[in-house]
Amino acid sequence: MRLKLLCLPALLLMLQAGATEDLLQFESAEQQQLYRQLTAELRCPKCQNQNIADSNAVVAVDMRNKTLELVRQGQSHDEVIDYMKQRYGDFVHYQPPFQLSTVWLWLLPLLAVLTLGFTVFRRSKASLTPAGDDSAEPEDLSDVAAQLQAMIDEASAKARHKPEE
Amino acid sequence: MRKALFYVPLVAFLALSLFLLSGLFSDPRDHGSALIKKPLPAFSLPDLQQPARLVTTADLKGEVTLLNVWGLWCPTCNAELGFLTELRQQGVRIVGLYYVQPVDASFGDTFDINQLRLDVQDKLAEQGDPYLMNIVDEKRSLIFDLGVTGAPETFLIDRNGVIRHHHVGDINPQNWPKIQQLYQQLQQGASDAP
Repeated sequence: MRLKLLCLPALLLMLQAGATEDLLQFESAEQQQLYRQLTAELRCPKCQNQNIADSNAVVAVDMRNKTLELVRQGQSHDEVIDYMKQRYGDFVHYQPPFQLSTVWLWLLPLLAVLTLGFTVFRRSKASLTPAGDDSAEPEDLSDVAAQLQAMIDEASAKARHKPEE
Repeated sequence: MRKALFYVPLVAFLALSLFLLSGLFSDPRDHGSALIKKPLPAFSLPDLQQPARLVTTADLKGEVTLLNVWGLWCPTCNAELGFLTELRQQGVRIVGLYYVQPVDASFGDTFDINQLRLDVQDKLAEQGDPYLMNIVDEKRSLIFDLGVTGAPETFLIDRNGVIRHHHVGDINPQNWPKIQQLYQQLQQGASDAP
């Protein structure tokens, strides 16, 4: 008896988990697909970073119900998104519109890729040109050679002094 | 030229840091409203005091009005009642839009407007009554059309029934001056017009 009672809550939980989406009735598989897509794309305006499919805030539940209603009426993807945007603003769709204030979202990655590409291109070109290398290296090498010579001179000067100590 | 290029990553890093830093001080709830400068959506909803009477957009026109979305279930709304009552005493016209939370029929819950009226009366007698009237939005239809995300939220509506400001969160002595400025501008502006 006690074991049965213990199992009851677990059983209830299982029933609930299985029941959530089966309750929604759609006329066609396309409508069901559209409903899934829309609830994944629409953003809950109350919660931070959750779509309306993911949230059980009252406003998210209301938006899901409205989405279902509009989809059943046969409205298209864009019509439903516009309906929500008219009420909850551009914030409500995870795909931002292309306008002056959002242009950087597209421009910045493009600029970054172009700048990096240009830099890499210039570097590889510089390392491939033998003339560039030749003109740079002798200077550097003669510098190093002079320094080495100075060190050798110093060391040998010391070595010459040491035996006298 | 080479030296200038050397500083590019540092400058880019600092710019990014400043941008992210400014994000720390921004309000994540503040994402604008789609309804500013739009007329109040058409509605026809019962008055809490006389459920048989339906309130429409026409009832809100004529005077600058604060439309305050609230509910007994919302602690911040209840905390706000005192200050809103002070505002009413100063002559501000406040209309309540009662946010009814969904009732779960599978638990045997039902919505009873008469019970709600009694509960609201008790609460307002205790905390102060800022409302000229209360509109009951059982299905949250007007609330949905207004783009309300929760409670409390307040809309500033001009004489012609056009939405001028959407405030998310409570109204308190700290943020009221900013809304008051708009409110007074609207009152003066509208009185100049014929």
